[in-house]
Amino acid sequence: MIYINLFLQFFHIGLFSFGGGYATLPFLYHIAEVQKWYTVKQLTDMIAISSITPGPVGVNVATFAGFATSGIFGAIIATTSVILPSYILVIIISKALEQFESNKNVRAAIYALKPAGCGLLAAVGIDMFVNNVNLLGMFLFAILFVVSMKQKRDPLFYLGISAVTGLLAGFLHITN
Amino acid sequence: MDKSFYTIFKTFFKVGTMLLGGGYVILPLLQSELVEKKGWIDSDGLCEYYALGQSVPGIIAANISIFVGYKLRGQIGALSAVLGIVTPAFLAIILIASMLEEIVNLSFIQSIFWGVGIGVIMLLFLATKEMWGKSIVDKFTCFVFFASFILSACFHVSPAIIIILAIISGIVYRKIEPKIEEVQPNILEECEK
Repeated sequence: MIYINLFLQFFHIGLFSFGGGYATLPFLYHIAEVQKWYTVKQLTDMIAISSITPGPVGVNVATFAGFATSGIFGAIIATTSVILPSYILVIIISKALEQFESNKNVRAAIYALKPAGCGLLAAVGIDMFVNNVNLLGMFLFAILFVVSMKQKRDPLFYLGISAVTGLLAGFLHITN
Repeated sequence: MDKSFYTIFKTFFKVGTMLLGGGYVILPLLQSELVEKKGWIDSDGLCEYYALGQSVPGIIAANISIFVGYKLRGQIGALSAVLGIVTPAFLAIILIASMLEEIVNLSFIQSIFWGVGIGVIMLLFLATKEMWGKSIVDKFTCFVFFASFILSACFHVSPAIIIILAIISGIVYRKIEPKIEEVQPNILEECEK
């Protein structure tokens, strides 16, 4: 039953992703590899669109992945189940706020969780780089990298440059 | 002050509509809507929820909304806040995803996606760099970073298992190295930014 499986997959994403923004991506990437509900290429497109669409990126990309898996009903299940663990946990924590903040085990867990979330994201980034980036891509990446070293910019700025470069490369037939 | 289901929903819906690219802009948005316009909570309260939102698994923007909504009106407030923050994202994606199949095969769209794919990898790199700055503070956290990276990149271990291992390692490490507690940041210190 695809819907139950969809619920379980997205519920576990909501329960285990730490670090916000792109923290759900390692999980969605793993789903692409194991469940094969969508391809890694489709996921890359979904992340790109989600980055320029209103709303939290994590919600956008979960809705998208759910839609790609089984249409509008899939989108509803994915979005609801990725949020559900947050909902339950936040309400429990709200009722015992002081114990949560001062609990030494909670602090120790968070201390170790943050670098783990960071390591997972780095693994996705490198995997995507190795599998998707050809020579021209490396050139574009190098330019973006140099620009990012000079000053901090909005994500839309990088996506804009990339889109224009892609369009130009397409006209010149050099993307492959 | 009016704290009906509809008002809370509408306020978070507005914030959800204005959130673009990464969740890092949520703090100034909530500051303007909840603190300045509505006066529902004060700056310190918002800061606390922002820090707490990052200490709970899941999507940070949703976590903060549920915290604030619950504070305002219990379960009803939490539900209306989370629906408000999620709905714009949901509708926007449904709209785009249903048109996508028709346009995705156009060659110029393919070219744009090719370029944007590279941009996305750049965004992942920047997000990783930012998380690195916040999370790798000593040898232990550096070890956790590389262990997670290797388990995921080389052995394709499920991210959930890596996260569970990290939680266990943090708690065990605290037991064998109690002085480490000085390094472990207080949850609320995140507020400073």
